[in-house]
Parts: sequence; structure tokens; C-alpha cells
Amino acid sequence: MDLLQILVNGLSVGTVYGLFALGYTLVFSVLGVINFAHGAVFTLGAYFTYLLIGGAVGANGLLAGFQLPVALPFWGALPLAGLGAALVALLVERVAFRPLRRRRADPLLALITSLGAGVILVNLIQLLVGAESYAIPTSVLGGLPASFPLLGARVRTVQALLLGIALLLLALLSLWLEGSRNGKGLQAVAEDPETAQLLGIDSTAMVRLAFGLSGFLAGVAGGLVGLSVSIAGPYFGIGYGLKGLAVLVLGGLGSVPGAVLGGLIVGLAEAFVPADWSGYKDAVSYGFLFLVLLLRPQGLLGRPLPTKV
Amino acid sequence: MDAALLEQMLLGALLALSVYLPLRCGQLSLATPGFYAVGGYVAALLSTGVAAFAGSGATSPLWALLAEMVLGGILAGLIALAIGGPVLRLRGIYLAIATIALVEILRVLNLNLPFTGGAMGIFGIPQPFAHPGGYVLFTLALLALACWLCQRLEALRLGRAMAAIRDDELAAASLGIDTPRTKLLAFVASAVLAGVTGALAAHFLNAWNARVGSFDASITTLAFVVFGGSRFWLGPVLGGLALTALPELLRPVGDLRLILFGSVILLGPLFFPQGLVTAERLRGLGALLGRGRHRGRQAPQAP
Repeated sequence: MDLLQILVNGLSVGTVYGLFALGYTLVFSVLGVINFAHGAVFTLGAYFTYLLIGGAVGANGLLAGFQLPVALPFWGALPLAGLGAALVALLVERVAFRPLRRRRADPLLALITSLGAGVILVNLIQLLVGAESYAIPTSVLGGLPASFPLLGARVRTVQALLLGIALLLLALLSLWLEGSRNGKGLQAVAEDPETAQLLGIDSTAMVRLAFGLSGFLAGVAGGLVGLSVSIAGPYFGIGYGLKGLAVLVLGGLGSVPGAVLGGLIVGLAEAFVPADWSGYKDAVSYGFLFLVLLLRPQGLLGRPLPTKV
Repeated sequence: MDAALLEQMLLGALLALSVYLPLRCGQLSLATPGFYAVGGYVAALLSTGVAAFAGSGATSPLWALLAEMVLGGILAGLIALAIGGPVLRLRGIYLAIATIALVEILRVLNLNLPFTGGAMGIFGIPQPFAHPGGYVLFTLALLALACWLCQRLEALRLGRAMAAIRDDELAAASLGIDTPRTKLLAFVASAVLAGVTGALAAHFLNAWNARVGSFDASITTLAFVVFGGSRFWLGPVLGGLALTALPELLRPVGDLRLILFGSVILLGPLFFPQGLVTAERLRGLGALLGRGRHRGRQAPQAP
């Protein structure tokens, strides 16, 4: 395969990992815990996109044959699917995270409760639309060609789009975090929730904001991946969820640029795994994760870990 | 209740103890299913590949099972020993993620190594017992031994050192406790127990593949401990027994089964943040049975 093609493949997968890990990071930075339901929200985003472009549910599941009366263009369906995923993420926060915080329980318990929420979501999807795979046809992109030439290589349009949209979202998010009042509030809560509260920032609202944003990013990433490689069934988010975890630590827990950098590194490294060794591709990210944890536990762009005395 | 389900519950309890051991000194390790898979592969490869281990009669010899359990435990323990040093320098969520990564790396290796049978795995593993009841008795004995060792640990210096590390690692170190060595010991013991359990489970399940050691299994085994309570060995044992039985008992509700299971995992920690077996309940039970001698000395401390 051509070097440029490998690069584009790696970058487009890498930005999706980045988007995914960013969702984890937003929640981690304000709560200090990992939301294991994130993969399920990502999966929902893909299914929402499929339904919104007018896709019909297959023969299995309670909703067999169901089809929305409207068929939106992909450009309209993707943000709406993101919003739907954001609402689900807010619901997850409400049932799996807030009760624990109110009781001041061990934050590690959120690993279990959020995973419970994820199990419920994934199995609800299976119950409603069945376990079969769904493909979002590339014809939803309108008149765009399936691939186009670039510097002597052929690049799939879907991958270029993936890369473009992901980069756009990452840029918007960075601008918003640095430039807006709410973005700064979020950073303040991430730094120190109690001081932020004293300064008049509603930390509960900020937690909700972090979950909503993280759900939106996951939903959009799900829709994009659904378009690029099809929806392989209700469980397809789990693999991404685990890799997102590796990306997250690689870049540094709680670091926004770190999540993006980590995603790109993992995506590129996977793309460069030779075809004969493709079975080992999934281990690349975890190998990196191990190395980083041993050499630089705070991650590539994270701050040094504080030691409690 | 049929013997096969009972056997699965007992295996669940053993795995729960394997998660409990590192947690006993405050280390959240999710590596148990990885070591479980390794132990199972040792048993599967030996008993299907070496004629003496398969035996010539209707059932494979018991000594072969015991030898496989020992070897599976040793291999898992050696892996834990090799990676434990650097990995156990990590704390909290970092350690948890590193152990998830270990499980995934082992899973990918099990899926791709030339001798582990690929995605199909290894099947036709010979049976040392003619009836599931034999497995139940054997596993019950193993579980009793593991529980007895955990109970003994409470009275030993090592057990006290583990509890001290859990409560405050820096303070424990300042009292002269060799914290890295103690944590490594707990991690290796956890791996050995998981490896031994895997070797037994591979025979019971008759087939073994890479899916047994997955992220899902990591979380399920962690749920055993969170559910039962992580302060005393009885908690994980009860959690393992109950949560392994639950999906099977829910089978009549069909498609709703896993949704209900998810709801239990979601709601359990909200209502029982310390698990079912807590210090107070244990003391209450002790008083009820008129065994006051445990009070204040042996009962684990409330946080």
C-alpha cells in the first residue's frame, strides 16, 4: 500500500480515537472517574445516525421493520444523532454518577455503576433492533465520489470527511474551552471543584455540561464510524471504548491536546502494522499504553502525578 | 439447582477471591481474567497434546489435573512476578487501566499465537470426573482451602501489613513495612489463584478460547467483589456465588436477562456502597452466633 494511503488511513482512524478519548477526558477531568458507558453512547450515536438518514430496522428485535417517516441528509442526521447521544449521556450521569456523588461514596464505584448503565444500553439496543450489522450507504453523501486522487494516491472520501469533521470538532472544542465563560468554568471545576464552587461556579451544572459534551462527541464519532466501516452490532463500541482508554492514558488523563495526540499516535501505529501481523494490530495501543505507564505515568502531555502526603 | 451451575458459581467465588487479594492491600487490579485464561491454556494444551495427561481410560487421571493446576498457577504467577514490579508502582485508576491493558494483550496473544488454536480455541479437553458432581466436590475443597488461607492471613503479620497499606500506604512504609514486596506478593498470589482456577475451569468447560479472558470478564469479577464487599474474604465469595448464579436464574425472562443483570450492577453499589458483607454486619452475625471472641480483634476495620 502507498505510504500516503497508510497515512490517511491512520490519521482518520486516529482522529476518531481522539474524539472518543476526548469524551472520556472531559468527564475524567471534572469527576476523576472513567465513564465505562461511553462506548455504549458511541454505539447509540451510530444507530441514531442510521435511523435519521431513513434507514429501516431489520427483521429482528422489537422494532422490526421500523423506519422514521423522514429521511435527513447525512449533514443533518449527524448533529442530531450527537444531540440524542448527549441526552443519553446526561441520563447516564443522572442514574450512575450523581447518586454516588451525593452519598460521597468511593469514586471507584462509578466504574461499576457506569458499566452497569453501559450493559443496559447495549442490551436495550439488541432488544430493540437486533444484533445484525447495519451499513450506512455512502450514497448519503450526495454527489461526492467514493474516492479521489491526492498526490498520486487514491483516498476514500469517507476517510477524508472523517478526518475533516473530527479536526473541526477538536478545534471548536479547544476554542470553546479556552475562550468561553462555560469553558473556563469547566476548567476551574476540573482544577478544584470546591474552590470553583466558592467562586460561584455551579459545579453540578459543569458536570452535566461535561457529560453532555462527551456524549455529543461520542455520538458524532459513532455516526462517522458507522458511515466509514458500518455498524457491526450492538457491541461494536466496546472495542473502541477500550482503545479510547489506552489513548486517554497515552496522552495524559485529563489533557485535551493529549487525547488528540494519543489518538493520532495509536491510529498511525495501527495503520503501519504489516498485513501479515494484522492479528496483533489490536495489541499495539495496549503495548504503547504499557510503555507510557512505565516510563511516564502522567502520559505524554499530562502534568506530573501529585503524591499525597 | 444443577451441578453445572453450582460448579460455575464456585469458580466465580474463586475468581472473586483472586480480585480480593490485591484489593486487600488497596490495589485495584483487573488482571484476574488474563491469568485465568493463561492457566486454562496450560491445562488445555497439556491435556490435549500430551498423551500421559489425557490418560487411557474413560476419564483423564486426577494427578494430571493437579499437575496442570500447579503449572498453570506457576506460569500465571511468573507473569505477575515479571510485570508486577513496574506495574504496581501505579496507583488507583492507572493501575486498573494498566491491568486492563495486560488482559487485552494476553487476549490478542491467545488469539494469534500459533499453538493456541486461533479464534476457535482448543476443544475436546478430557474430563477427569465422569460427572459434574465430581467437579463440585473438588472445587468446593479448593474454595475451602482458599478461604482458610485468607482467614489465616488476617492473623499473620503479612495480612496486617496488607491492611495497613490499604489504609495508608505512606504511613505503612514509615512503620517499616516493605510495601513494594507486600503488594507484589498479593498480586502474585492473585495471579496464582486465577491460574489454578483457569486450569480447572478449562476441563469443566471442555473447551477454551481467548474470549474467557476479556474486558467483560474483568468487570464481572470486579463486580463480584464490589457486590459482596472487599473488606473480608466472605464478601467476595458470596458476591461470586450470587452474581454467577444471577444471569442463569434470570434465564426465564429471556431477552431482558442482561438488562436486568446490568440494572443489578448499576443499583447494587448505589444501595450497598460497601458491599453486602461489612464490618458491622459481620459483628452482628458473630454476636448472633454467640462468638464474641472475634469482636474487635479479627473483624475488619470500618473505613
